Amino acid sequence: MAKKKVVQLGKDTDINTAYQIERFLVAEARILDEERYDDWLTYLDADISYQMPIPINTYRRNRPSNTTFSQTMIYDENFEKLQQRAAREDTGMVWLNDPMTHHIRTITNIESFCTDDPAVYDVRSKFTLLRSRRNRDHVSHTGSRKDTLVKTSDGFKIRSRLVHLPERVIIDKNLNMFF
Amino acid sequence: MSSFDYSSLINEETAQQSRSIFWDPDIYQEELKQIFNRCWLFLGHDSQIPEAGDFLRTYMGEDDVIVVRGEDLEVRAFLNACSHRGNKLCQAEWGKTKSFTCSYHGWAYDTSGNLAAVPLEEEIYDNLDRSQLGMVPVARVQNYKGMIFGTFAQEGPDLIEYLGDAAYYLDVVLDASPEGMELMGSPYRVEIRGNWKLPVENAIGDGYHVAWAHAGAMRVVGTIGQGRSDTVLGIGKDNATFDTTGQVQVAIPPHTILSTLDGQSGYALYDNPGPCIDYLEKTRPSVIDRLGEVRGKQLYGSETHMGIFPNLQIIQGLNLLRVIHPKGPGSFEVATFSMADKNTPDDVKEIITKHVGQTFGTAGILEGDDGDFTEAITHSADGYATRQMKGWLGMGEGRKIDWEGPGDASPGIVNELCQREFYQQWKRAMTASNVAEILPTQTSNQKGSK
Repeated sequence: MAKKKVVQLGKDTDINTAYQIERFLVAEARILDEERYDDWLTYLDADISYQMPIPINTYRRNRPSNTTFSQTMIYDENFEKLQQRAAREDTGMVWLNDPMTHHIRTITNIESFCTDDPAVYDVRSKFTLLRSRRNRDHVSHTGSRKDTLVKTSDGFKIRSRLVHLPERVIIDKNLNMFF
Repeated sequence: MSSFDYSSLINEETAQQSRSIFWDPDIYQEELKQIFNRCWLFLGHDSQIPEAGDFLRTYMGEDDVIVVRGEDLEVRAFLNACSHRGNKLCQAEWGKTKSFTCSYHGWAYDTSGNLAAVPLEEEIYDNLDRSQLGMVPVARVQNYKGMIFGTFAQEGPDLIEYLGDAAYYLDVVLDASPEGMELMGSPYRVEIRGNWKLPVENAIGDGYHVAWAHAGAMRVVGTIGQGRSDTVLGIGKDNATFDTTGQVQVAIPPHTILSTLDGQSGYALYDNPGPCIDYLEKTRPSVIDRLGEVRGKQLYGSETHMGIFPNLQIIQGLNLLRVIHPKGPGSFEVATFSMADKNTPDDVKEIITKHVGQTFGTAGILEGDDGDFTEAITHSADGYATRQMKGWLGMGEGRKIDWEGPGDASPGIVNELCQREFYQQWKRAMTASNVAEILPTQTSNQKGSK
């Protein structure tokens, strides 16, 4: 492999901001585990972009072509779409989640960087999301996230989230959960 | 001939199917041989491999297959296995290459499948004949309007004969414009612990489950969820009413069609169908010119599910194409692609690809509901007593309706005609002593056919 330059992601935030950001992400994970989707929506910026691409399994030195194969999104949502997904969970008519599906989200490797805008932070993290339902459906998903957080008078809001889940073929029936 | 009692496995008189067909490992092995090793199977689309050296990988049954456009621009397909020791020749999902080189000992094949180079060949071999050691080709690869199909059967019907009257319906998607259809992006791929036949019959014919199985989603998306109408696809709010008017399920053995015939409801589940409907109506006159009134007015734009036996589903309106790959008796992998006519404006294509992801992608709010049922139906039959049960698909039996297109029609998309036909065809393929017998002997209703 070619040698890669170390990429400077940005200036570290001060320690207090880093702590607040960590608390924010951990609290977000907890309210999602607790199925408090309306509360979760208040953590989101109204202009949020929420994306998860399919991993592309081509050769490292893939040659260019005019193929229609391209980057494709598993999630490519705005606020309204996330609201719709949250509303579906709350209908009480998603049979797959009754009995309740259990989620345990672990957020770690949190890195917080300053950006050109003093109210905007570039935050990277790793996650493990264990989903457990029925008798034997226990699947653990591990991935990374690149978030843009905005500090407002009402606390942090997530303005963008890019989720990388390195699973080409999903063996967990679906990915109908929030990452 | 096989040792299975097919008359008891699939009973057309009672519309019952033995639950063991979803469970029995021996039946599954017979399916790989009788169905997946003999039928025409969908491999890919021209738009995915337009240039010399472009390749993709897919499955034919459980066989890993490379589909590649050679330097002569011919599309060929090969087993993804080195002639030397059987290692996979390609681990990439798609790409462009001049050769396939085995990662084990370095044998290299050109894009026409010839063994082109063997490391140390002069030094170590006195008996190696490269002309005898090419990649193993899929016996026949043929193309229908951009759709690439392959079969392991050396003989038997050509693709066009195999598609038969289904081509009349496929053309609404493939031939609505001179440029035709294209697939868009990478497929969503999900493996589910269920038998491969269940997601097939669900997609080609089960209109009954839509409002109930997907009740949560129906409350938030589409015409009902968005408050545009009190019904979706003829089904009333809370699954309380159903109007069969103007809808059909059609048997065109070995294939099936389900359609709402209203020319627009393919977009019933979209939150923002406006630009799609505008494009539909703008193009409709030219589609009527190309394909005639029945297809241009009634089929174009309708919710239309085309089931191509055994494992391909093309769903117009939702604009997705799905292939179900068997993975043992108790598992399957589904690959779901977005599709659109090549001339579709970019903003409409974007609405379509996002909609496919949001409804029937890996995190699709409808797709996610079905995996539970297929798993339960398949694996509850692990129990000896449970698999003595029969499934029943008697809905709509005996109800007939006049329909101007080819095939025998029954009214309403909530109907089990297509599913009954699928299992009848399954039986026909499983018992066929030669490839030609996989197709029904009597041709179906040909009226309206070109």
